[in-house]
Formats: sequence, C-alpha cells, structure tokens
Amino acid sequence: MPDVDVVVIGGGATGAGVLRDLAMRGLRAVLVERADFGSGTSGRYHGLLHSGARYVVHDPESARDCARENAVIRRIAPACLELTGGYFVATPDDPLDYAERFVPACAAAGVEVDEVSPAALLDAEPLLNRRIWRAFSVADASLEPWELIDANLASARAHGAEAWRYTRLTRIVTGEDGAVAGVELEAGRTGERRTIACSAVVNAAGAWAGQVAALAGARLGMRPGKGAMLVMNRRLTSAVVNRLAPAGDGDILVPVHTVSILGTTDVEVADPDDVRVTDEEVRALLADGDRLVPGLSGSRVVRAYAGCRPLYDEADVDAAHESREISRAHHVVDHGQRDGIRGLWSIVGGKLTTYRLMAEQTVDAVAGALGVAAACRTADEVLPGSEEGRSYWLGERLAALEAEGGGDADLVCECEIITSGQLQAELDAHPDSTLDDLRRATRLGMGPCQGAFCTCRAAALLSDRQGMGLNGSATPDPNAALLAFLAERVRGTRAIAWGDQLAELWLEAGVYRGTLAVDTIGAAGNGSQDGAPSHAEP
Amino acid sequence: MPSHDAVVVGGGLSGLTAGLALAESGADVALLAKGMAASHWVHGGIDIADSGQASSSAAAAAALASLPGHPYAVLADDLPAAVAEALRRLADAGLPYRGGLDAPLEWIPTAIGGLRRAAILPDGQATVLDPWEADEGLLLVGVERYRDFWAGYAARNLAAAEWPGGPARVHAAVVELPGLARLRNLTPLVIARLFDDPVWRRSAWPLIRQAVPAGRWRIGVPAVLGLDRHAEVLAEAVRELGPVFEMPSLPPSVPGIRLHDALRRRFEASGGRLEIGFGVTGVERSAGAVAALETAAAGRPRRVAAGVFVLATGGLAGGGLRGLPGGKLEETVFGLPVSSPSADRWFSGEPLGDGVELERAGIRVNADLRPLDTAGRVVLDNVLVVGSELSGMRYLSERCGDGVALASGHRAGRLIGVGQRATATTTTTTTTRRTAS
Repeated sequence: MPDVDVVVIGGGATGAGVLRDLAMRGLRAVLVERADFGSGTSGRYHGLLHSGARYVVHDPESARDCARENAVIRRIAPACLELTGGYFVATPDDPLDYAERFVPACAAAGVEVDEVSPAALLDAEPLLNRRIWRAFSVADASLEPWELIDANLASARAHGAEAWRYTRLTRIVTGEDGAVAGVELEAGRTGERRTIACSAVVNAAGAWAGQVAALAGARLGMRPGKGAMLVMNRRLTSAVVNRLAPAGDGDILVPVHTVSILGTTDVEVADPDDVRVTDEEVRALLADGDRLVPGLSGSRVVRAYAGCRPLYDEADVDAAHESREISRAHHVVDHGQRDGIRGLWSIVGGKLTTYRLMAEQTVDAVAGALGVAAACRTADEVLPGSEEGRSYWLGERLAALEAEGGGDADLVCECEIITSGQLQAELDAHPDSTLDDLRRATRLGMGPCQGAFCTCRAAALLSDRQGMGLNGSATPDPNAALLAFLAERVRGTRAIAWGDQLAELWLEAGVYRGTLAVDTIGAAGNGSQDGAPSHAEP
Repeated sequence: MPSHDAVVVGGGLSGLTAGLALAESGADVALLAKGMAASHWVHGGIDIADSGQASSSAAAAAALASLPGHPYAVLADDLPAAVAEALRRLADAGLPYRGGLDAPLEWIPTAIGGLRRAAILPDGQATVLDPWEADEGLLLVGVERYRDFWAGYAARNLAAAEWPGGPARVHAAVVELPGLARLRNLTPLVIARLFDDPVWRRSAWPLIRQAVPAGRWRIGVPAVLGLDRHAEVLAEAVRELGPVFEMPSLPPSVPGIRLHDALRRRFEASGGRLEIGFGVTGVERSAGAVAALETAAAGRPRRVAAGVFVLATGGLAGGGLRGLPGGKLEETVFGLPVSSPSADRWFSGEPLGDGVELERAGIRVNADLRPLDTAGRVVLDNVLVVGSELSGMRYLSERCGDGVALASGHRAGRLIGVGQRATATTTTTTTTRRTAS
C-alpha cells in the first residue's frame, strides 16, 4: 500500500498546478521542492500573462493555448493579476511586413487584437517612442507568480494534498518490473531522510527536468534557455509593451508593481542553475529597450536577473537550432512508453501562462493510468484569495494601510508597502522562512531601494521571534539570513553597476559596513541552530 | 562676476576642511556644494584608520602610509595637525569630540549588534569608549515606532559576540515616548527635534528611566538626543539617566548632520562663502589650468572664477565619480583621468567584505595634490584633489576616509596659502558644458 498515489517533483507554477489538479480529482498527492516554492523559473520571469500574440506567427499552437489560458486565469485567479492590458508596437526598426502576417495569424489562433492609432497609443503611454508607426492592443496582464503558486498550493492542501519545500529528491525507486515504487527525499535544512512509497511520479522540475529524469535512469532532451531581465526603478509604462516583430532581445516591457521589467534575452545554457547576467546581455537589453522608450538606457536599472526556460527538444536531434526557435509548446512525456519506467511522467516546455493546461494534460495521463475517471475542474473552480473576483491594482496595499487607519510605524518596506503584521503572518504560517522566502511571499526588498532599508528591519523581526521562541527548529540564523539577502541583492546589481545605482550601492556599503559593521555580526553569531552562518553562495 | 582666491567644489568633510583652512588664513574662498554631501549617511565619528591590529589610529595610519599609492603616503605628515584643528573647530562650534590620533582604538557596539573600533567620537557617542567595569552592563533602549534601532536583535548579537573587554551583560528594552503615535515617517531627525524641546523631554526622561532594571548600566540609545540643542540635551540625559551614549543607524544620521552643520557654521563664521545647491555645469579652461567654473544659478549660468580650485566631490558615493555602462568611471567636474581596477575585479570577493576592489578607484595625485594622468604628468596646474575622490585607499576596509579627508583638506589649505588672489585672465578660453548629473 503506497503512502500516496502521486509524488510531484518541482514547486513552480506547473508543479503546483499538477498538485492541485491531482488533489481535486481525489488522488492522494504530495509535492516536493528542493528550495522555496517559485524560486526557479516561475519566480524568475518577467511577470507577463501572455495574450498569445507573441507566438501567433511562429508557434500558433502556443498562441492558441495562451489565448485560452489567459481567459481561464482571469476567471480563476484575478487576485494574482494586474489587468494592465498590453500593446504590440512597430518601431522604425521593426519589419514593415510583420503586421501583415500578424493580424491574420492572430485571427487564426483566436487571439484578440485591436488596432490603435499611434496618436492614441502615445496619449496612453507618453514615454513610448514617438516614431512608433503601428500599434495593436492585446489582453496582456501583469501576473504575480508567487501568489499564483501559493493559491494553487492552498487549493491543493484544501483538497488533502501536501507540499514540502526545502526537500530534495535523491532517488526515484523502481521495482523489479521497472515501475515506479517510491521516492527518496532529503530535507535540505535538517538533512533528515525519508522514503515515500507511491504509484506514480510527475516530474515538473521544468528546466531541471533532465536532472530529475536521470534519477530514474531516463534521458530527457532539455535545452535550458536563459532569459535575462532588467528591473527599471519605476513604471515606465502602465501597460505591457511588446515589439511588433519576431521575438528578439529587449522586446517586452512589463509593469510589475512599483517597477518595470525589461526582458528578455535567450541564451542556451548547459546548467539551468547558471543564471548569471552578462554585460553583453545588459547592453543588448538596453539597446532594444531604447527603441521602445527612448532614453530608457539612461534611466536607473536597479537589478539584473535571469531565469531558465524549460525548453524541450522533442526530436532531440536538431542541435543546430537557436533555442528561441525550439517550440514553446509543452509536452507530456510518458516514460513508461518511452523508457520502460512505468508510472513516471515528465511535463516539459510550456510557459507560465499555460501552467494550468499543462497540469490538466499531465493529470489526464496520470489519472487515466491509475484508473481514476474524474474530470479536470481546475478551470472552473476559483482559486483561494480570488473569490471576490477583484484583481490587483497598484494602490491596493496603500489603500489597505489607509483603511487600517494609516500610519507607517508598522511599515517594514516603504517601497512595496509591507507591514510587520504581514511578515509576522507569513512567519506564523511558515516559521522556517529566510528573508528570501519572505521576499517571494511579500515582495520584501523588490522595490526601487532593493532592500537598503527593509533588510535590517526584517532580520530584527526574525531575531525577535527567535528570542520569543516562535521560530521553527529549522529556521535559519537571522544574521545568516541578513547577510545572504544583502549579498544576493548586491549580486543582482553587479551587471548594472553604474550611475545612480552604483552611487546608491556605495552609500549603502558605507552605512552597512561603516556604521553598522554588519560584516562582523556573522562571526558573532547568536545561538544559531545552523552552526556557523554562511555568508552567501559563491 | 565673482572672483575668489580659491573655490572649493564639494561640501563634505574634505571640502569644508580645505575651505576652513583657507578662510581661517584670510583667503577669499567660496564653496560650491551640490547638496548636503554624505552627512545623512555617516556615523558622525571620525575614522582615521584601523588595521584591526594597530593599537591607535596613528599606528594604523602609519602602516597605511607605507602602502604605495595610498593617500597617507603623501598625507601622513599633515595628519596630526589636521586632526587637532578639526577637533578644535568642532569644540569651538559647540560640538566637542573626544579622543585623538594616539588614543586607543576601542571596540564599540553598532545598532545591529556588530562591533567596530573607534578612537574619535563626538561627546554624544564617546561614553562608550570608557572601560567597562566588572559589574557594568550594557542596556540598549529602543523607541517604540522608530524602526531603525533594533535593541533586542543587537543585544542578542552582542551577548554572543566576542567583545574583548566588553560589558558584563547586555540587556534590551523598548520605551514608548510621548507624542510619537500621531507622527508619520518617524525618522531620527523627527525624534531629535522633539528632544530639542525642553518641555517634551521632561516627560520623556521618566519613561526611559522606568525601563532601566536594577544594577549598574551604561545606556545605548538611538542617535536622537537633540539636533540644534544637542549639548544641552546630552547634559540633561546624563543627569537624568546616568552614563548614556548614542548609537547611529540607517539614514538620516543625526550625528552626521550635526557634524556637517558645525563645520558649515565655522566656515561661514570664518568668512567663507557657502553656496549649497550649486552643482558645476561647465568648466572654462585656459592654458593647462582652470579659469572659472559655471554653476546652475537660478535661471541662467553663473561664472565663478578663482586662482585655484579644490576638488572635493566625494568619489562614487558623493557623485565625484560616476560609473558608466561597461565598467568605466568618469570624474564629473573636470573629466580628470580616473585610476581604477579593471571592471571584472570591482566586486571580487564578498560584496560586503574586503574584496571590493572598486574602493581603490579615484584620482591619482602628486604630493601637491595635483591630478595626474597615467604617465604621471600634472593634468591641471591649479586644481587640487582632496578626500574620497583620491585613489589608492579603501575607506571602508581601512576605515580611513575621514582621516584622508581631514589631512588632504588641511594640506590643500597649506599648499594654497594666503594671498593667491585670482589674476582674472581675459585671454582666450574654452568652456565645456557638462550635463548636470
């Protein structure tokens, strides 16, 4: 008798969606994630809910999926969305004939577009290039990945599933018949090992799916495509702006909360953990960004980061392909049929916009094999937190603070309007959180000042909770959390260290080292359960 | 058209020191400052040097002076007089400091519970330098609603720290001070202004006293003990609470603002002309020298001529150096050649540790503080460079930024001397306008 029916590997949007779907069909399921939920590709993308128009010309299948799922997510997860709308715009550098192919391709793929006059576009978005000569409006939106993942996990839990973060898969156990029998796991923070017996494993590890499949002896032709993005220090546009051209570097500008994200490059990498942003990528992004918003490269970039697309080379043959041309469409791989490992499925490819559809098709296969006939209901049932049907708007947190009587004494992060109450609630729910976990849960340190002020305040809150015995036994030392968070924030500014951002980095270094001597608190320690606090990864 | 003996560009510690030396010697000097320098960001103490081992600032500075290319290699002789004059000026301004070059470097606690060494602190912070008695504890008192003093966190860190000669015990408390509940954006400046009010603080002392447990304590508080009436507030605090000292934290730094204000007042009292809000927008050159600067006055450019110019623009943090995309640095006023490690080594090592090579970037100068090009030739005859704009030091790792500012400012004043009245040249000049940054 297995412990559960299905183990899902990977706590990104896809894994969370698979877990929810399994649970809603009555299957007993558990999800394991090696780090925090949404700390991989899902948490390192540009924040765009695609209308589908990006793909209509080259990848109509993806376009159709995006258009359908865009409508579904608006219905089931409005609270995770800011309904910014979006535009496709033709700058003088874009091909004259692309629009002629774009419009009919949108119609064929079911992607709604409306042409708007350049004058109307510039009225709505005055910072855009005055020489834009053609524009279409589309149903893009700004999508908060961590809220979406949390909502899916909450729904899954409500249907009886479990999700464990900081839990690493070390082995997929197969029986003598070659079928999946269980998984071996190791808790990342305690080193505690356990074995879970199960009938099926869903590999939803995205760009890392090849590594997971290898644990069962199967081979997956993953071609991780690194995409670099830049965080601009404010919202440059109020809607998403895409170039009306075949996909290229620096062709999307997405308003995300208080900042804008400029994306994305596409570079094939051997290791999906290799997400360093190079100077060349920064240059390419800024040069193309200037074509959308002239002068953009002169405004302040507060951070550079990258994620790895889970691209899958189905044919596994044509290695000469540029990774941008590999299909973005997703594939459910049945390793029973392909490799003789019954009970193992991998879900690869796809994009965040289509996470739910990917989950549905995966669970259709798994449930069918396990003899469960229940139909998918994930497109019908609204996600927790979205019951009222309201979507996010930029002033939401400020309005909530004002409604409570205003005052900022309780604010930990001014940029993103995060109160100590919000952090306390998150820590009550997840007592083992690091500052980076809190960042994903609340956007701590993600605004224009990039953590200059909130980091110490949040670390002090962790320490105070430790003093009161409120932290879990696996809680990281507050000093280690502080130093790791600062190091990561500084690391994110290296590729864009110039101008005001470099000056601010310098002023911050002066305060953190000169006034606070934070470089000495690690050595001091404070009763850490982890032993010596690690300063940061290399 | 104003013409001066000397014009100082930059109103931080080095610029004010140079300006004061010149003004006190009777020169006609104007100081152009873009803003309030880094006053809001600094802790308000004076860091001369710390190698981690040296027993005094003088010994640590002497060690740095033996490093090739370090500013102290040129400035070491100026250091004793520079520090003495700075302490005299500050005392005259009503902001006395304790300690000196030869005073021992003592471990002092920071607001997050780190430890750093210091030997020269304003009276408001200096009580922490006294030796800890065997039965003496450290009590950290935070203020309810003020977010940037973490008494509990700091106390837990300090209790666990290896603090040579430190207190017997560390304890934390948080007090509710009157009238703060209504206030928004509760910065240290806001609280410091409340302490300036004698009526308000009469109601505050008993509340703080209630938080002090039985036994012998030295009390660390946020750096908020008054702004304009700091000396009066501090004296009263000692009467009411016993030994008490301020601990600076995140900006705005009240001790830094007090330091800046005191030097500004001395500069103006000495006859110097201070113009805040005037960044340099153009440079008028004449035969290897600078004839005049152009500043952005209200509505139109204004020409400021002088015989000699002191560049005290404060490096990367102050805006005197500006990073450009692609790992280049530019000097923002005269376009001087910048000496910098290659960009791939800027951030090698720990981002907050000793590996930040970019610290070394700056303007290379000769013994007369004249800027040099890569071949070692003087670039501009009548420009002297002082303070954090100088290359070759690591002001965070070596904690030498304030000492270099004082010594170089002092040396600039000495080199320029008295009576270098501007010989306003009307020969052919070229003006380069720079975009205000």
